[in-house]
Amino acid sequence: MHDKTVRRRRALLGLLVVLSLLLLTAYFGEAPNGRLHAVQRDFLTVVSPIQDGANKALKPVRDLFGWFGEALHAKSQRDELLKQDNKLRRELVADQSEKRSYHQLLGLSHLDQLGVGNYRPVTATVVVKDPNIWYATVTIDKGESAGVRINDPVINGEGLVGKVAQVAPDGALVDLITDSSMGVSARIGTGTATGLVQPKVGDPNDLLLEYLPATTQANAGEYVVTSGTVTPAYPSLFPPGLVIGQVTSVNEESAYKSVNVHPIANLHDLDIVQVLTAAAGSASAKDSRLLAELPPGQSGPPAGEQLASAQVGG
Amino acid sequence: MNSVPSGQLALRLAAFAFAIVFFQIGVVSEVPVFGVNADLTSLLVAFIGLLCGSTIGAGAGFAVGLIVDLALLQTLGLTSLVFTLIGYWCGRLRDRSQIGQHDPHAALTPLLVGAGASAVALVGYSLMEFMLGVDAPVSFELLRVIVLGVLVNAIVALPMWALTRRVLEGALPEDPRRRRRRAYTTGGLSPLTKA
Repeated sequence: MHDKTVRRRRALLGLLVVLSLLLLTAYFGEAPNGRLHAVQRDFLTVVSPIQDGANKALKPVRDLFGWFGEALHAKSQRDELLKQDNKLRRELVADQSEKRSYHQLLGLSHLDQLGVGNYRPVTATVVVKDPNIWYATVTIDKGESAGVRINDPVINGEGLVGKVAQVAPDGALVDLITDSSMGVSARIGTGTATGLVQPKVGDPNDLLLEYLPATTQANAGEYVVTSGTVTPAYPSLFPPGLVIGQVTSVNEESAYKSVNVHPIANLHDLDIVQVLTAAAGSASAKDSRLLAELPPGQSGPPAGEQLASAQVGG
Repeated sequence: MNSVPSGQLALRLAAFAFAIVFFQIGVVSEVPVFGVNADLTSLLVAFIGLLCGSTIGAGAGFAVGLIVDLALLQTLGLTSLVFTLIGYWCGRLRDRSQIGQHDPHAALTPLLVGAGASAVALVGYSLMEFMLGVDAPVSFELLRVIVLGVLVNAIVALPMWALTRRVLEGALPEDPRRRRRRAYTTGGLSPLTKA
């Protein structure tokens, strides 16, 4: 009985396998318009309405599964795009940084051509910026070991930036020209009248050129430059002709004229600067001595200018 | 062992097979999981074999394969051949379990049988296509599709097994549970009475 069952089972298997192979051979061998192909087409004709109906009926199910699949796919796509976005942003930032450094170095190169090279410039990188929006100091990566001393003028490709306030062996703190302690002797364009450039009270991003003679001609848009040494007794820290800013407006005040000046250097975007280590009058000990000798309560434009010269060499 | 399906079983098998084939074509084939599609038809054939035995399994495999080939305008006989072997192989597992070698109702059996049947279907189908001269390179991609296909089918195997059992329950030729119940109630073969 068992053998009979086994034989029957194997016979059925053999029959089905042979039938499959026959179908396969016949189908594979016949032309596309053959009988088996026709049967297949007929079957499709019969079941296609059912298939169509089933397709429509099952569309919500398909959409539901598809939604899950697409959501997962979208998630992976989003992650991939975020990665690409981050990569491109990093590249863009690096490119912009390189471009900015290039322009600043180019500006410094132009300054060298104007004679700044005579002041033994030391190129430094700004490593720390005061995070406060009112910041008026930056830290650079060159210090005493590079020949940097207190009161050395600091410039960039655009113009005057500030002066060294503190020095360490491998770094220095720079007071920007917008710092309240700054005062720079300056003149307008090619004029001869000199005044004192100081930060504008209440607006740390602007400067005020004060104590100009009332007859001074000043127009908006003119450049304000360092005047250099006016009196040999009080040599200026800053070489003459360094651009400080542009005149934005003129104030008529009593016997003296003052003008509003917008700094030419973008002080919020400093990367590379130069410290003029051989600037005239940078011997701070002499200035300190002169400062100590000044009588208390001395005021007025000449005295103010002298004080500024004594304090910052301007 | 009853090798000829009863009318009720044949009816259920035919209806279920048609439903699964259309569901496969209409839904499952259009929802890729990990880049591949689950194949419910091979699981269906495997579980019919596992539940109904080798003869019915082989016959169902041939029929389901034929429907698939007809509906998808594929080479007639190709899927039938592969599914016949799968149905038979799974049926043999069930046949052997009757003499105490395996238990097809163990928890992992459907999973393993489903994965095995899927592997046989995918590899067998690929081999047949190569033998018939389909110009497809044997590549890492093909291997990936086969491995992922087996994994996805293994995941789907358990619910598919539960569904198949649910549909065919009561019409199975020799339902082991029913047989055991019958044996206990007649008092002949209960292990308790032996003790």
